[in-house]
Amino acid sequence: MLAAGSYRGSPRVGSSTAGLPEGLARVVQLLARLPGVGEKTAQRFALHLVTGDEETARELGRELATLPDRVRPCVRCGNVAETSRDEAEAAEGAVCAICRDGRRDPALICVVARVQDLIAIERSGAMRGRYFVLGRLLSPLEGVGADELPIDRLRSRVRDAQAPVTEVLVATPPSVDGEATALLVARELGTLGVKVTRIASGVPHGGDLEFADQVTLGRAIEGRKSFG
Amino acid sequence: MSLPRVLLERLSVRHLRNLSHVDLEPARRVNVIGGNNGQGKTSLLEAVYLACTSKSFRTARPAELIQHGSDTGSARARLADYGDDDGPAPIAREQTVAVQGRRVQVRTDGNRPASLAEFATRSPVVAFHPDELTLSTGPAQGRRTLLDRLALFMQPTSGDHRARYQRSLRSRHVLLRRPSPDEAEILAFERLAAHHGAAITRARAAAATALIAELLPAFDRIAAPGLVLGACYAPGGTADPDEAIEQLARHRARDAHRPTASFGPHRDDLALTLDGHPVRAVASQGQHRALTLALKAAETASVASARGVEPMLLLDDVSSELDPDRTEALFTFLGLTRGQLFLTTTRRDLIVTPGVDAADRRDFEVQDGKLHAVR
Repeated sequence: MLAAGSYRGSPRVGSSTAGLPEGLARVVQLLARLPGVGEKTAQRFALHLVTGDEETARELGRELATLPDRVRPCVRCGNVAETSRDEAEAAEGAVCAICRDGRRDPALICVVARVQDLIAIERSGAMRGRYFVLGRLLSPLEGVGADELPIDRLRSRVRDAQAPVTEVLVATPPSVDGEATALLVARELGTLGVKVTRIASGVPHGGDLEFADQVTLGRAIEGRKSFG
Repeated sequence: MSLPRVLLERLSVRHLRNLSHVDLEPARRVNVIGGNNGQGKTSLLEAVYLACTSKSFRTARPAELIQHGSDTGSARARLADYGDDDGPAPIAREQTVAVQGRRVQVRTDGNRPASLAEFATRSPVVAFHPDELTLSTGPAQGRRTLLDRLALFMQPTSGDHRARYQRSLRSRHVLLRRPSPDEAEILAFERLAAHHGAAITRARAAAATALIAELLPAFDRIAAPGLVLGACYAPGGTADPDEAIEQLARHRARDAHRPTASFGPHRDDLALTLDGHPVRAVASQGQHRALTLALKAAETASVASARGVEPMLLLDDVSSELDPDRTEALFTFLGLTRGQLFLTTTRRDLIVTPGVDAADRRDFEVQDGKLHAVR
């Protein structure tokens, strides 16, 4: 206890990377920019790469060096997409596998906040249309305004004469910011004559009702539908 | 038939405030906790409240609860709902609340509860502490909080609506203060504020109806005869979301220059009158005291009927009550409750409980964070 206390109390020399070889310190600083990675975790990763696993370090380096050239956001929907080897095609920008899939219903678009949400919905197998990734949610408290959402791109996507869209399903999360974003999207698209729907919120499948928490159950009842 | 009562059978406190290691085995009816000021009496009540609700009645910041020099504090309570004495012994449950940094972890019998609302309403408890002496005259916030505590028992989703309402309203406010606010953006948050605000208004209206039904008879028993108490829910918003949307839209320009919106349930009050006049203006010290006691008695009774279990009652620092005039009001108040009672005082000798069997009362002294049973 005493040692830890006096360590904390000693004057801090720069950041926690002070004293590391410079090359390593730079890697630590870069890793710490990643979401969910703090300085300590970054340091653990970096030390693992230089002390234990040289092969992984080299491979990771090679992959990362060319990753931004090989995988980019899809120009149509914002999903991750592999860039084309064909130079002419590549110049037009990357198009993801879902946007290229001809069996998809072009008239249905699902709007999500992040690529992770798209992947989760894809895993369900229930979405037969295509997607549009907003990249972020409206959040005045975190300084994200409507002008930072790609609403114009979404509007032109919906109005695309070659592939008319009839339904936009808004699948933003059921948080306050997610709901506000859904309302904003619905309003912005309302004038385009397209049907806007919202994913339901409710009880998990296979879960007994008795185990559902009161708030989830309450929302499920508020959002009930006519039946039979 | 009378309702079952929730009884605290055992409490273990570790590293909360100045209580490093306290184990309490209370009596079934009255527990008197004596000791000088600053010894840890209130902290002991706070630990009971924490184990039952996951919250403190003194602070909204959990980190303040942890004992200085420790990184975790916890309260573990063994509780059971006792019905009529002839019935089979109830099965006890263990509720644990641990605080680490800003995080609060709750467990019932070692398992995570489905929601915090469910945890907080499982073992009902009503606390009465000196800050609430201004319940009848003080800011409306105190009376709103009282309605919200009751609403949580009647409509468990009301807590979630409250959190969402506050975030929507704060977001709207940030938008309104921008130099050139975006109309569509503001409207999105106003619609959410209207939806959740309407749900709060409905929940508080129902809570007020239940509370007032208990408040009027309680006041008649506690206060001097001849006074007519009036009470009604005075909503600052509306139960109709469409009307709320309209009101919020109309007041945007004005609201931008105010600390918060001029319309909505954050402006609710429970309006109280004596002989037709607002209590704030007319009531004497003694009448305020009687009214505050009646409000707490009504809270206890309406929580009991909403939950179907008599709550525990925690009374902090009743010493100031112990002049002859006030003592009578206090003991009338206590006579209105049936639950297990914990009270702290600097003058244990002045707490007389004539109607209580010796076996049903236990006295303790707290000194420098340590608890001793004295009889």
